[in-house]
Amino acid sequence: MLNVAGEPPGDSWGIFAFLCAALCNLPTVPALNGTEELGAGQSIQKTYDLTRYLEHQLRTLAGTYLNYLGPPFNEPDFNPPRLARAERLPSATVDLDLWRGLTDNARLAANYRAYSRLLKYLRGLDSQVGTVELRHRLGHFCSSLQGLVLSIAGVMSSLGYPLPAGPAGPPPSSGTPAAPNDFLKKMDDFWLLKELQTWLWRSAKDFNRLKKKVPPAVVTLRIEARGF
Amino acid sequence: MWTNPNLRCLLALAILCLTSLVHSREIGSQGDPQNLKCVTHNLRKMVCTWDISSKRRHGQTEFCYTIDDVIPKCFKTKEKKVEIPVPGSSTTVKITTYSISGTAFATRHFEIHKKDISFVPLAPRILSLTPDFSTSTLTLKWSDNGSAFPYGLDASWEIEILRKETMEDVTRESYNSKLTHEDIIHSWNWKSDMPLECTSHYARIRHYINITQFDGHKDWSDWSPVEVVPGKDTEPSGSGLFPQDTVVAVGSNVTFCCVHEEGRQVQRMSYGAKDYPLIRLSSRSSAIRVLNASASDASGTNIVCRMSENGMDGTVLFVGYGPDTPEDLSCETSNFVIIKCTWKPGRASGLYGVRGTKYSLIESISGKNVSCEVNEMKKERVCGFPVLADQKTYSFVLGVSNPIGQTEASLLVDLNQRVNPETPEKLTVSENSSTSVRLRWFINGSFAEIRLLCQIEISSAHSEQKLHNVSMPGGKFSTYTAQLNALHPYTKYRFRVRCSAADHFWRWSDWSGTEEHTTLEAPPARGPDIWRERSPSGKSLRIFWKPLSLSEANGKIVSHEVSCYLLEESLEHKEVTEPSNSTEIKLGRNDCVISVVAKNHAGSSPPSRITSVELPSDNVKTDRAVAMGNGIYISWNSYPNMTCGYIVKWCHSSGSEPCSVDWQKFPSNTTDAVIKSALFRPGVRYNFSLYGCKSSGYQLLKNITGYTKELPPKRAPNFTVEETSSDSILVKWEDMPIEDCQGFLEGYRLSFAKGEKDSLKPRLLESGNPELKVKNITDLTKKSLKILDLQGKTSYQLDLQAYTAGGLSPPNSLYVVTKEDSVGLIIAILIPVAVVVLLGVVASIFCYRKREWIKETFYPEIPNPENSKALQFQKNICEGNKSLKTLEMNPCTPNSVEVVETQSAAPKIEDTEMMSATTDTIVPEDGSDSETENHVVVSYCPPIIEEEISNPPMDEPVGLSQVVYIDIQSMYQPQIKPEEESEIDIVTTAGYKPQMQLPVSALKIESRSPAEEESDKTAGYRPQANTNAWNMDTPDSPGSVESNNENASFGSPCSINSRQFLLPPKDDEDSPKPSNTGWSFTHFFQNKPND
Repeated sequence: MLNVAGEPPGDSWGIFAFLCAALCNLPTVPALNGTEELGAGQSIQKTYDLTRYLEHQLRTLAGTYLNYLGPPFNEPDFNPPRLARAERLPSATVDLDLWRGLTDNARLAANYRAYSRLLKYLRGLDSQVGTVELRHRLGHFCSSLQGLVLSIAGVMSSLGYPLPAGPAGPPPSSGTPAAPNDFLKKMDDFWLLKELQTWLWRSAKDFNRLKKKVPPAVVTLRIEARGF
Repeated sequence: MWTNPNLRCLLALAILCLTSLVHSREIGSQGDPQNLKCVTHNLRKMVCTWDISSKRRHGQTEFCYTIDDVIPKCFKTKEKKVEIPVPGSSTTVKITTYSISGTAFATRHFEIHKKDISFVPLAPRILSLTPDFSTSTLTLKWSDNGSAFPYGLDASWEIEILRKETMEDVTRESYNSKLTHEDIIHSWNWKSDMPLECTSHYARIRHYINITQFDGHKDWSDWSPVEVVPGKDTEPSGSGLFPQDTVVAVGSNVTFCCVHEEGRQVQRMSYGAKDYPLIRLSSRSSAIRVLNASASDASGTNIVCRMSENGMDGTVLFVGYGPDTPEDLSCETSNFVIIKCTWKPGRASGLYGVRGTKYSLIESISGKNVSCEVNEMKKERVCGFPVLADQKTYSFVLGVSNPIGQTEASLLVDLNQRVNPETPEKLTVSENSSTSVRLRWFINGSFAEIRLLCQIEISSAHSEQKLHNVSMPGGKFSTYTAQLNALHPYTKYRFRVRCSAADHFWRWSDWSGTEEHTTLEAPPARGPDIWRERSPSGKSLRIFWKPLSLSEANGKIVSHEVSCYLLEESLEHKEVTEPSNSTEIKLGRNDCVISVVAKNHAGSSPPSRITSVELPSDNVKTDRAVAMGNGIYISWNSYPNMTCGYIVKWCHSSGSEPCSVDWQKFPSNTTDAVIKSALFRPGVRYNFSLYGCKSSGYQLLKNITGYTKELPPKRAPNFTVEETSSDSILVKWEDMPIEDCQGFLEGYRLSFAKGEKDSLKPRLLESGNPELKVKNITDLTKKSLKILDLQGKTSYQLDLQAYTAGGLSPPNSLYVVTKEDSVGLIIAILIPVAVVVLLGVVASIFCYRKREWIKETFYPEIPNPENSKALQFQKNICEGNKSLKTLEMNPCTPNSVEVVETQSAAPKIEDTEMMSATTDTIVPEDGSDSETENHVVVSYCPPIIEEEISNPPMDEPVGLSQVVYIDIQSMYQPQIKPEEESEIDIVTTAGYKPQMQLPVSALKIESRSPAEEESDKTAGYRPQANTNAWNMDTPDSPGSVESNNENASFGSPCSINSRQFLLPPKDDEDSPKPSNTGWSFTHFFQNKPND
């Protein structure tokens, strides 16, 4: 269904990603603080790792959440038409040539804007959920995603790009009314998760490309060793 | 015209006819008006209609009617319908039809009676039909037009609901009302089982008025014109899945419909994960019906409509339960600020979030209500209601509602009777004196209008837990105090408090935190218990005291003050600090009164006094005490002059230290006591001294010695052999120290028996040695013993044991050899010598006296053979005794068969061979005879090959094997017993077999172990056919088809027939090899692994 992930990560990779994510989620905005010391390369690597970790985390969260929504949302072949309502979500789908033609700044800005908005929607999701356990998981994922947004901002600042004006873009509530019924609300949730997964997949590609351009600094090894 | 009598007659006749006939009956000729019908809608006017039989064109019709014999009213009309007033009883009607030209061509007279008039009310008119889409309810409104009818008529209404474009009947329902001579608007609701959006719904109505005073026919009105509520499928852009986001109770039946745009098709509709059959409502609307809906998940059950062109629509249904009635509703206050009501919610509704169960608390006396925010995670719900001023009684109604339903629970409470105070806090302890403290605590609440009962728990390490209740007036958020008296000085107490309402107990609050406090010290309550003892030299006096118990010490004893007074004059004064419990005073030969005072930080105890005077005593006896339980029982005679009681003193010695003195005082009327002490040990002797107390001093009355429990002596006394002789041993032993005795010694036991000093032999006492002799020595003064009646030069083992009431000690052993007895030895030699000499002398005398007879008998000068016994002896042997086989010559020929006859089977074969001529020895086809083949042994007949290939003899059945064999194996291998297991039987007797038996062998041989095969090889004679080789041939292998024939072609029948063992056992291994020459290659390959 939401099959947009790259190659399946191994267990050791998962642990590594988790540790990196833990580093990123330090309350003192580690991405912003760290980049000054660590340099852009290290910062990009860390953001990339966090993206992969979030991809992994979303896979389990989406499974649980779609089960909560019930059939047909949890059916593997469920592929509903994309309603006009879903267009309010920032779409990760982009023409390959267009994507290639983007500058690093544009690429990063698109990522930053997309996650800022997706995060807002995701927080709205959190308040509606009926079960406490799922609410906790969503809350946890939101904090991780917040970490990613800050991390992207850190990369941009380390590369000397300005943050896009109005980080969250237009507020999600304006323009698009709340779903008129519960089914459409569920559909919104479904598309939100799907779009989020596509974005994470795209971001992994973006950061991978960026990583190749900006090689990590020597200090990387030291930091990684400390991380372990 | 009326004056003409003929005409009158005619008219009368016509009227007669009319009255006798039904007014509607057709009687006239062409052009006659007929079928006159009158119907009234309102009882005032009626509409009369008629038909004209002719098909001719006619012009106007004149209609005349007469009511109540007044002048008839006539009017002309072109229609066949007139409206006239309803007559009181009857009316006469004349209808004349005119031609177009104006000539009358038919006239008819009718008389209309009231009962002939029908009453049919006018069709009602629907004022409105309003849909409520959210509840799928239609509301119909109409006026009853009651003003047109007399008051109080019963009206029945019939309402019909129709659905779909085809106007299918859905329901027809009745509604009754009473007409009140006014136009009343009625309203009627109908809940549809299908959402109203799904398709158009229609309604129409008719009525029936039951006028009892009307004689004529009454009928239902016509249906009103239909009123419609159009479905979404009639709207050009109407679409959706209905109903939207509804909540229903578990078990409901729900219809969902999918309304879509024109041109699309609904492909399927699912409820949850299941598709339901579609019900077509219109070209743009389809439905499914879900029966008995089960509870939905937390996010509801999804209903999805999938349409062509990838169209999709959906809705969510929430299926749950109505709220359960709350159980155990209880309200109480802990502070007179908030009333806290709790209840158990009962069954979960299965609905969450905005659809979850909502609670509200309504107080009906004050009319106030609060909505309750409840935590769904907790089992018990809590809701707070503020305490209202000047209101003590509260009537609570807990309203519970969710979208499915609502319920409530009620409770009437008097708040003063439902007080569960807050937990006391800030508990502090302040001290007043060594025996009293003051406690303070705070309760967060306004209890000004009630009294509080508080309970103080007092616990200490040395006393039982106590509860102390204090009642006090309540206060507003105030601190409460309580004084506790009668505490013990210098004791660590733990306090905690809880409170409740004093007048109407409801519940205790929780306990406050525990507060610890140690009371102040007080002077010791009494002087210590003291004793004194003069030193053996008599120059000094040792004073002992016992430590005061904690309850008596009232603090920490720091020292004891010891003084010695002689007639108020202090001779000596000493202060002995803790922990010493004795001191020594140098008195010389003087006596004094000793006073001991215990001191702690708070002060001194009253003094304890004792005189040092020891009165002389003579003839002091020593008695034995009796052990009793874990103490020692002591008794004494009453000594009347002992005025101030008795003292029993004893000493505990532990190890090398000097013994510590202990004592116990008894009043003067006591004559016995059980002395107990935790220091008493079993097997230890204690010496007690009984002192009597007189005003002048203490006198030793008697000594008592005893054990709490007697044990067996630790060891036996050392003993030695003083003297041995050939028949006695003198043994001597030493005294045992008292410590080793562990009890009062009762005697010794000496056991002895013959025995070498050999550790391997069992110990003397343990063996049931019959020679064991035991001597019991109860006279303890005796220290030696002579054992008599022993054997000389014999080793004896001697065991000596001491014993007490507790048992025998372990033995001490000695081995002693008695001395040799020389006299006995000499006698033992001399007597046999003397006997032999004596016999020689007697024989010599006898021979001498009978010498003649001896000579004649044994050495005659001329020997007589007949008299010779020696010769007779020889002869008898040869003649009479046939049992002497060595002398027999003839019958004892050696048995030549013996060599072969190591086999028991050998003779058997010969027997069966003889029988074979008559016995039919056909081998069964199935080969199951393998077990019995030893017994089916017969002589060999014609060669196998010929038998097998050529035609069988006519007297034997075809298909059975005619080949008969001699089982050579059974001859050769006597070891195999017939009753041995069949498997072994097969292996070891696998001689030359008929082919019919092969399958059986094949089955069995698979489980053969190599060892078995080895035994095969060494098992003497082998059949020429290698049975192994046969068995390895699989049934489907190419060779197997011919195997029977091939098998038949090898082997050596002649050799079998000859009964000679042509092949010695050692050649057996080789023997199959030549036989394999007849095998095909496939056989070879298959056999190879087996080799």
